[in-house]
Amino acid sequence: MVKRMKIKMKYKLSFSEADKLIERYYEGLTTGVEEKRLMDFLSQSKLPDRFKPEQAIFGYFHQKKQKTHFSVRSYISWISAAAVILSVVFGLQFLEAGNRGDYAYIDGKRITDIREVKSQALASLSDIDTGTNEVEESFKNLNNKDLIKDQLNVFSGL
Amino acid sequence: MTSKKNNVMRSIKKYLILTLLVVFGIVPALQAQNDLQISRVFDQYGEKKGVVMVELTDEMLEGYDFSLFKSITITNNPQAADFIRNCLVKDEAGAKKVKQVVSNGIPTSIYLQLPRKNELYRLILFNESFKPEQKITLIYIESKNDSEDVLKLILKKK
Repeated sequence: MVKRMKIKMKYKLSFSEADKLIERYYEGLTTGVEEKRLMDFLSQSKLPDRFKPEQAIFGYFHQKKQKTHFSVRSYISWISAAAVILSVVFGLQFLEAGNRGDYAYIDGKRITDIREVKSQALASLSDIDTGTNEVEESFKNLNNKDLIKDQLNVFSGL
Repeated sequence: MTSKKNNVMRSIKKYLILTLLVVFGIVPALQAQNDLQISRVFDQYGEKKGVVMVELTDEMLEGYDFSLFKSITITNNPQAADFIRNCLVKDEAGAKKVKQVVSNGIPTSIYLQLPRKNELYRLILFNESFKPEQKITLIYIESKNDSEDVLKLILKKK
């Protein structure tokens, strides 16, 4: 931490130094290191107004650079999030598939013998009370668009 | 240091929220039956005494091709019958009532053709008989075949 601060202090520009660097920058004489120092200097929030045009210029480049960096990080972060979600979904589906299956509970006792399970299923089906015609008639009525018309016709003769 | 911590916390929060959304939103939606009130009947009564619960997945049962077959038969439990009827009232919304038998003002037989979900046709069959004892049968079926055909087939086979 102390070392970091020392480095920062070392590279911190004074206003006059910054003015000189800016001049050199406009003349195209600055090196990459100098431009980096200038960019660091201009990224400070409380600077005199005279630095505003340069802040705008460097701020734009800086922002652009940051934006690219952010999108890559966010991209990786979203991929990780998607991976986590997929793992959870598949995990739960796997668990669910494990729970689903062919079984019966008789008085709280689990049975997995498929023949017994099927026989219990058929027994429950046989409990369903119906007259087949009645249900077929009902299906017909559900699908019959003229049903209301026909029903109203009954009253037309009255 | 603090901003790093914040970033980590933010990304943990993001994963957590997304995971919760998946667990409580998407996964239950994958199971068509879970959007129905009758799933509570299977959960509450399935493993109790005097109850037979059956679950068959992707099975051929006497020629019926079911993706899911669930049935529950409960004897001598009028409270369960009322509970099922209340669930069915809610599940009726958006469903076609193929058949309903009312005895002394109480529905004793209800067949519902539910709207398709995840390409599956769905049926609910409920029946209550009193001789020789009170017996409730509730069946839930998911099938790739048209529910009308499934129901006709079931009833014809009886």
